Amino acid sequence: MKSSAVSVREALLQPGTHDLRRARTDWVMQRIFQVAAFLAVLPLFVLIFYVTLRALPWLSPALLTNNPLDQEPGILNAIVGSLQMTALALLVTGPIGIAGGVYLSEFASSRVATIGEFVIDIMLGIPSIVAGIFAYLVLVPILGFSGWAASAALGVLTLPIVMRTTQEVMRLVPPSIREASLALGVPVWRTTLLVTLRTALPGVLTGLVLATSRSLGETAPLLMTARGTNAENFLDFGTTMNAMPIVIYQYAGAADERSIGQAWATALVLMVIALALNVLVRWRTINSRVA
Amino acid sequence: MEGDEKMLDMVREKTKKAKVAPASARETGEAQPERASEVSGLLSLSNVEAFYGSFRAVSNVSLEVQPRAVTALIGPSGCGKSTLLRTINRMHETIPGATVKGSIALDGIDLYGSDVDAVRVRRVIGMVFQKPNPFPTMTIYENVAAGLRLLGRTAKSEMDGVVEASLRRAALWDEVKEKLKQPGTSLSGGQQQRLCIARAVAVQPRVLLMDEPCSALDPVATLKIEELIRELAAEYTIVIVTHNMQQASRVSDSTAFFSMNEDRAGYLVESGATTTIFTSPKEALTESYVAGRFG
Amino acid sequence: MSGAALDFRRQRSASSDPLFRRILAAGAAVAGILLLVVTGYLFAYSAPLWSIQSPISFLTTPAWVTGIEQADGSVLEVYGAASALFGTAATSIIAVLFAAPIGILGAIYLVEFAPRALAVPLAFLVELIAAIPSVVFGLWALGDLSNRLRDSIEWWVASSFGQIFPWLSEDPTSPASDSIFRAGFLLAIMILPMIVAVSREFLRSVPISLREGYIGMGATRWEAIRDVVIPTARIGLIGAVLLALGRALGETIAVTMVIGNAEGIPSSLLLPGQTIASKIANNIGETSGEIPLASMTALALALFLLSFLISLAVRISLRRFSRVRAVS
Repeated sequence: MKSSAVSVREALLQPGTHDLRRARTDWVMQRIFQVAAFLAVLPLFVLIFYVTLRALPWLSPALLTNNPLDQEPGILNAIVGSLQMTALALLVTGPIGIAGGVYLSEFASSRVATIGEFVIDIMLGIPSIVAGIFAYLVLVPILGFSGWAASAALGVLTLPIVMRTTQEVMRLVPPSIREASLALGVPVWRTTLLVTLRTALPGVLTGLVLATSRSLGETAPLLMTARGTNAENFLDFGTTMNAMPIVIYQYAGAADERSIGQAWATALVLMVIALALNVLVRWRTINSRVA
Repeated sequence: MEGDEKMLDMVREKTKKAKVAPASARETGEAQPERASEVSGLLSLSNVEAFYGSFRAVSNVSLEVQPRAVTALIGPSGCGKSTLLRTINRMHETIPGATVKGSIALDGIDLYGSDVDAVRVRRVIGMVFQKPNPFPTMTIYENVAAGLRLLGRTAKSEMDGVVEASLRRAALWDEVKEKLKQPGTSLSGGQQQRLCIARAVAVQPRVLLMDEPCSALDPVATLKIEELIRELAAEYTIVIVTHNMQQASRVSDSTAFFSMNEDRAGYLVESGATTTIFTSPKEALTESYVAGRFG
Repeated sequence: MSGAALDFRRQRSASSDPLFRRILAAGAAVAGILLLVVTGYLFAYSAPLWSIQSPISFLTTPAWVTGIEQADGSVLEVYGAASALFGTAATSIIAVLFAAPIGILGAIYLVEFAPRALAVPLAFLVELIAAIPSVVFGLWALGDLSNRLRDSIEWWVASSFGQIFPWLSEDPTSPASDSIFRAGFLLAIMILPMIVAVSREFLRSVPISLREGYIGMGATRWEAIRDVVIPTARIGLIGAVLLALGRALGETIAVTMVIGNAEGIPSSLLLPGQTIASKIANNIGETSGEIPLASMTALALALFLLSFLISLAVRISLRRFSRVRAVS
């Protein structure tokens, strides 16, 4: 095969139509990629902008200090309710999730770990309506329409999140750290807790915060358990409780402007909290990546 | 001292063998002016500098690379040899922030000229990488034919012909002709590298750049590839970066020796015919290196 | 990559160790037990339905009729999940059809073209959308997105294609009402971040040497993406889409707020419909009696099994991906 087919001059300086078409296709595709990336980030700004716009007229201190039945209605009991139910759910599933995550990462055999991961996969995929109907049929008859039932439903949804994140960040800790501790004669359990887990702590906390954020935003399970209420409810888990997502959902289709306004204002509060939590945990990752 | 003697013997052996084979530039490593003008593939580097952002990795390299010959770039690691190699086929600029100064011309045509598309440069100047990188989602056939497909030459009869010829050229045909439909990654390391060479020559380049092509291979595979390189030198301009001095002396006609100066930029210390560089170099630094005293 | 980081099993140490491990194992076991309990109750509470209707009939009948007195005094009860299944499937498929191309193309931009200073914050912003609660999305859709869609896409699609494809036509009496299409479009926005994030990971895992090999032969950047990067990452990209599909199936509230909650399988995508989630959410309050509750549970069970199958598919495709990577 002779290597004299095309002269260098021709190849470099005289592109054929095929070559020109390829170059043009490349240019077009690059524009398409840019547009796609732009479209992917656009909804965030549109959403934040629009929600803020609609909520602005209804923002006032009363929103956060008053209850729905007051002269100037507010959503205090919803905010308090959301925080209470999420806190209870996380209080229980947090330690369990961390324990389970540590086990799957450090002590489980290959087979158990695979099964465990698959179980967590399925649980992560449980639609919130399924968790809701489970709570409605099984927990409500026992616990009534209450904060207890709601927190339990939230627990079902948050447990896999905490467990998965804990397992993953524990795995990322290099074996050498464990080995160094063991070589010093530190027993396995202390090594795991005081060395490995401590190293992975930031990641574990991230998992807890993400679970919190998810839990605060859940609607369907709460509608079917805590149900929402206009009354003030502080720490009385035995009865119905209000929550921010419930307010938004119930007022969204309301006829009067005031209620709709409340819905938008609540949406803004909820959105700000969720975004703040997420920005907080990812801030560190962004900084370390760019640096 | 004994090592030096062995080295000199080896070089003399090679020179003797080279004298027997017919070639234009092999004996002296220098171009015979009247022949060079009719043979395409002369690479001219002039005051070439390469940067990664503001860091200068290669400084002020001027070099003439002869066609139908093998030129080796040698020197300790970190001297910018690979970086320089990648400026020749404009791969250096694919790294964000990387820039090139100076001029690089092939047969007198400025490769960085405003009317020259980098894509076309890379068709005329092929590259073989340190670690064999056949495309895992393509069969052996498709790997070799990949370049042709890009050029739009998809007629089956033409592709079949070029694939076979390229694989023969790379001394791989007999080993794979029965299994062309197998994935490219199903071959051994040495075979994969020859596959990469086959796909590089399939698009009929004028120049072949090789970045330490044997460093990831075992000695047997390495020898096979070195033989292949000598054969390919009959048709192509070949530039090979190598850490292995013995390889350079076995395989190349000309050698360029690089080192690093205080600000960590690589620079060209000396270049010339391989026999000269290894037996009677001009610079003391070169002599130290080829005698194995550093690097 | 499963299994413990270090093999602690043969460590002979303090007597507190076995207790420690048992406590941890108990934690892990809670997850398994919880899953079994939830699954068990779903099956148990839906069982009564099968005494009056077969699962096949349940899955294939569009009608959902209860309490209609017949001439002979018996009460007609037909529980058909087909309309809800249709709505769930249709909204999810529409969502994936919109989100997958944009998500993957966007991920390609982030991995292949974006300058580093831009790529990290941009990826962060895209993933931030996933943090916004679904009920906020629903509210926004009611207030803003619906109007935009109605005035732009829906109007155009219905007038251009409504004649040719009846399944794209509008209801002349209430044009551009809440619809399956609208829910699907909203869902697309919600699953987009997940597709971008997961695709990015798989695209980045393609070794640079492969791209360089192709470009070194004289390929353009698009050609390298088309012929090398995407094929090598393909299985992972499919996994990303499946993951997003699973998320779309499970999405409850936002979809419920814009789907219009109509019975039966609509004749057009621009008409209101229902999903399994919206059906349960809207009707569970008024449902009582063993069999009606069983029917609701059966719906939930169907959805649960669907998301289980998707999880399985994702696992399998991701395992195949790591096998392909190991060979190359």
